[in-house]
Amino acid sequence: MRSRTVIVLLKELRDALRDRRTALMVLFASILTGPLTLVLMGQYLSGLEEKASTLKVRIVGQEFAPPLVNFLQRADVDIEKAPADYEARIKDGTLDAVIVVRPDFHERFLAGDAAAVELVYDDSRTESQGAIRQAERLLRAFNRETGTLRLIARGVSPNLIEAVKVEHSNTATPRQKGAVLLVLIPLFAILSPILGGMTLAIDTTAGERERGSLEPLLANPVPAREIVLGKWLAAWTSASLVATLTLAGFVVAASFFAGKKLASLMQFGWPEFGLFIAFVLPLAAATAGILMLIATYGRTYREAQTYTSYFVSLVSFVPMVAIFTGLKDAFWQSVIPVLGQQMVLTRVLRGESITFLDWLMPAAVALLIAFTCVAVVSRLMGEERIVFGRS
Amino acid sequence: MIRVEKLAKRFGDVEAVRDVSFEAPDGKITGLLGPNGAGKTTTLRMISTLVRPTAGRASVDGVDTAADPLGVRAKLGMLSDARGLYTRLTARENIAYYGQLRGLPDAAIAASTEKLAGWLDLVPLLDRRTDGFSQGERMKVAIARAMVHDPRNIVLDEPTNGLDVMTTRALRDVIRRLRDEGKCVLFSSHVMQEVSALCDTIVIVAHGAVVAEGDPETIRAASGCDSLEDAFVKLTGAEEQPA
Repeated sequence: MRSRTVIVLLKELRDALRDRRTALMVLFASILTGPLTLVLMGQYLSGLEEKASTLKVRIVGQEFAPPLVNFLQRADVDIEKAPADYEARIKDGTLDAVIVVRPDFHERFLAGDAAAVELVYDDSRTESQGAIRQAERLLRAFNRETGTLRLIARGVSPNLIEAVKVEHSNTATPRQKGAVLLVLIPLFAILSPILGGMTLAIDTTAGERERGSLEPLLANPVPAREIVLGKWLAAWTSASLVATLTLAGFVVAASFFAGKKLASLMQFGWPEFGLFIAFVLPLAAATAGILMLIATYGRTYREAQTYTSYFVSLVSFVPMVAIFTGLKDAFWQSVIPVLGQQMVLTRVLRGESITFLDWLMPAAVALLIAFTCVAVVSRLMGEERIVFGRS
Repeated sequence: MIRVEKLAKRFGDVEAVRDVSFEAPDGKITGLLGPNGAGKTTTLRMISTLVRPTAGRASVDGVDTAADPLGVRAKLGMLSDARGLYTRLTARENIAYYGQLRGLPDAAIAASTEKLAGWLDLVPLLDRRTDGFSQGERMKVAIARAMVHDPRNIVLDEPTNGLDVMTTRALRDVIRRLRDEGKCVLFSSHVMQEVSALCDTIVIVAHGAVVAEGDPETIRAASGCDSLEDAFVKLTGAEEQPA
């Protein structure tokens, strides 16, 4: 005899697959948006990177400042003459920053007066920041060089004006820089199983009751827990499927950057995919169970949708908190669902090694939650107020 | 055979069923007749084990509902008040799902589906999805689904509700056929004509208690009325509204 749990599982999956509209919606909403966002963000960032790596300044009145031009040429900087309507261009965002040299620059420079240049920019545009900082840096470097030369000419050690000498040494590996960008993938890894399991979790509980098919279903000689287990397995399957496809989409999206400068930032290949799946599947078991438990209290599909949307908000809040409070890794986080996964997945992206124990704790907590939910829902399915609704 | 003894059910302050006792024997059609809100549906739900009685007991073929609910459900084919179908599945799949849950082999499910579809005039609908079905068509599928395992005891809660004349007649034929096969058929209705046209025994329920029991003629005679309808009105207290 076939297991009755499997019969329920197969029926629910078949039923869900026939709902083309919802299936397509879930597919589109979760599987495409994530990787698409990654590609767009990547493009944007690689644009920034390019802007920053090719040294280029735009100058108005370069003929007035031969020493500055000389300095920039020595520093291998492309000098471009800015168009006359540069102010308007900066406003509409087609130009980032322009150095304006006054006609009296050279005269004052030779006299040793402060020779003013004007740096024109619009700092409300984040994408201009790189160019602005670059122009500032170059002007400061020119200042320092000129000042040093003048001090030496007067027989003063240049060390006098540089009390502290700052040497930069950035310990972040390219991968770790990438992890900052890739908060996106853990977020989707956590939310996609919820979106993927939601329809089934609601349809098999509140939906079943709204349709009037719950009472006849429970009148079959099958213990409620076998039915609930089958429904939960169906929700878990759907959640896992959507999560797997979403993460695979990220692998494909990240592969677009292979060979480019940004490839080092976008390291999300099949090994990382495998680790992510190992963490996300147990989490999906828990979220599917929680969604079912919440939805069981809904009298109608819509009511259950409202309840579960609170849960989704709560869950999407956790990674945000982790990101914005700059939480450091600690053991206690691993027993908190969602937060535990979020922290460890970020570590995966940072390229840190993950041990079996790192996996075990969050997975064990997630499965415990899942089975508790299944047990509670099974009990509720035997309660008159749940089966026949409250009035 | 279904036996009900001094069944009572209280929901908070509401006493839905106070004192219901009757026996529905095999090979007979027993009608549970009463006005809306008399406690018929609650009584049937207690028989189907989905509602636990506050007092009293019910048994199906000698199996007590409290002691062995799954055993009772196995012996019962129940058309409940809620009879929703899965609209994305075909009629055949809806029926087969319950057959599988009851552990029937595929061949038995197919044979049973063919037989019931023939009786209920469902054959041309079997492989269509049920979302476009009329109320009568949905009812027929729900009945076939409830009887896929060829149960010895059949409980139908207001099966003719909302059906047109043709479908009602087809359903009556099915119920008679089931009786002739020796099954115990118990069905509820608030329509007196429905019950009197079909039943061997009538149990009249009002305000959660049995007020009369017997074949139509006995009930009419005992009430001292000229017609069964007058008897029904008198017995259920529809005349004197209780305060």
